[in-house]
Amino acid sequence: MAAVNRKWTDGMLRTEDWWAVWLGLIMFFAGLLTIWGVDLVGWMTKTKTWEWGKFWTDPSFNKLLAGSHVKEGQTYAGLGGLGSLLVTYVVFTTLTCIGAYFQKLDVKKFFMGFTCIYFITWGAWIAGHEAHFKALKTGQSITQSEIYGDNVYCTTKVNKCSTQINKALKGMGVNVLEGQVPTQEQAAQAVAKSKNSIRMSWGLQLGGGFSYMLALAVGLIIGNFFKGFANFLREGAKPEWFIKTAIVYLGIKLGLMSMKATGFALELALAGAAACFVAYLLFWPIVYAMGRKIFKLRRDASAVLSSGISICGVSAAIATAGAIRAKPILPIAVSMLIVVFAMIELVALPTFYAAVAPDQPIVNGAAMGMTVKTDGADAAAGAILDEMMVANHYRTTGETWEADWILSAAILTKIWIDVFIGVWAFVLALIWVYKVERRPDQQRVGASEIWFRFPKFVIGYFIAWLFYVAIAVWFPDAIKAASSGAGVVQSPMRKMMFMLTFVAIGVITDFSKLKGMGRLTALYAIALFVVIAPIAYLVAWIFHNGMLPPLASS
Amino acid sequence: MKADVELSLIHDGEQWIARGDAVTARGETLLEVDEGVTHALRDSGAFPLGSSVTVFMGFDFDTIPTWLRQYHAHYFNRYITVNL
Repeated sequence: MAAVNRKWTDGMLRTEDWWAVWLGLIMFFAGLLTIWGVDLVGWMTKTKTWEWGKFWTDPSFNKLLAGSHVKEGQTYAGLGGLGSLLVTYVVFTTLTCIGAYFQKLDVKKFFMGFTCIYFITWGAWIAGHEAHFKALKTGQSITQSEIYGDNVYCTTKVNKCSTQINKALKGMGVNVLEGQVPTQEQAAQAVAKSKNSIRMSWGLQLGGGFSYMLALAVGLIIGNFFKGFANFLREGAKPEWFIKTAIVYLGIKLGLMSMKATGFALELALAGAAACFVAYLLFWPIVYAMGRKIFKLRRDASAVLSSGISICGVSAAIATAGAIRAKPILPIAVSMLIVVFAMIELVALPTFYAAVAPDQPIVNGAAMGMTVKTDGADAAAGAILDEMMVANHYRTTGETWEADWILSAAILTKIWIDVFIGVWAFVLALIWVYKVERRPDQQRVGASEIWFRFPKFVIGYFIAWLFYVAIAVWFPDAIKAASSGAGVVQSPMRKMMFMLTFVAIGVITDFSKLKGMGRLTALYAIALFVVIAPIAYLVAWIFHNGMLPPLASS
Repeated sequence: MKADVELSLIHDGEQWIARGDAVTARGETLLEVDEGVTHALRDSGAFPLGSSVTVFMGFDFDTIPTWLRQYHAHYFNRYITVNL
């Protein structure tokens, strides 16, 4: 039979969900080889923060991009910015095209679409790293601007710049860590010596989040104003595949973070699970009742919409429609709504949460995970929120939260929701088959339905996470070597998959698709912003109130 | 779960269609499809009259539009028992 799930192994080569696991684990194991001194990932490109004026004095790709391990004496020495960009392109295009072939996509169209999206992505990423947009002020420039000046910006992690400046001062005999205060001249010399500190007349200090927003804006412009081009790109625009692969890579990051803050990671995971359980029990019945009583929807339409809006978006809509044996056109229509609304949430919620509750980063992240439907939009919104809140907190307090904990809160919460959709759909199937549509002949629902609906990328995520925790517990001496390869996979590689997601999700979002879906659209909008978002925030607050990310070490 | 007959199930926008090597049945509802399957099995003579046959219907996910498949990879499978 064609694409029928019969055996538990069915779909392992055919579905994007499994291909997220394969792409994730291929790079996971490649990164792991650094433990034995084999570097298979050091070619990966990463962006550099660059300054417009300085770039044009001597233009070079090396000012914009760098390989991950291209320093002298390292495996990929000499590759350079452009070389690593092209190697990255070749590796990821090859892997994704192989995946596209097995998923029965049109490989030629996928190749063309992916190639365009890849270079659009890197263009947006490089533009977003221009220092006037991205760079944050150094700690000294915020807290002691009368000595250092208020125009000192950092082209790397701000803690690193602060350390460089303090080290330079120490070399001049001024130990600021022991309370000594430099003169303005000494401070100026130290800033000049700091490799990553620059002076600029202005800067927006948007952090890495600006690149994400730029990529999203570019994708949305293409998707809504250049529809012919969007159609050309569509086969290569697979935001769910890209983001699920990124989430497997994020498992590595969580593993590394868990090494430093095991208790916090565990608390985050458990609180997320509890919050999801509560949310499930509240969201679904409320939205279902609204659909039936207020909007007079049919039972099947109301059930599919309730799952889509209150559980995990498109995935839940399809799972529920299948469970209740609805005609496929129903989840297709609902999915269009979900995709468009997820985009609205992605644009609106990070800014809103960051502005309304700047002191509740983890609550905001968890609420995002419960509110934003589709994994792509949730992870994207979580990433923007993370960058935005870490940068805002630093600007107002001079204190740096470790990056990616807020994103992890958003994704962990969403993953718990995803994991249980199989069980929820199974329960619905039992109710529909044995109660709602009870028939004299015998219909049966196999328990295998739970497995077929289980999100497989979660397996890759947990393998990556637990593997690194195991290394920390049983092979602590290998942590440093393991972190070298892991750092490449969980940082530049993961961020590239996020950036590809931002462009792709914009490309496939066409707001005009809401036309002619009046009643469903109205119910969706009301349920989302009046029911789901407030309850999600309340539940997130109950379970995560007061949790703060650990402070970043320099 | 073992089945005596395996069929793939699709929806063409108007009707459900169950198809196998020797059996094809269609209907606007799954109940109609099941009745069609029963008739087809009787007509095929593959099983003795009066016997009880377990039929597996697996939804062919290729029916779902390509753009939507990236979100989820399964619709539903079902088993019915048909008394010939």
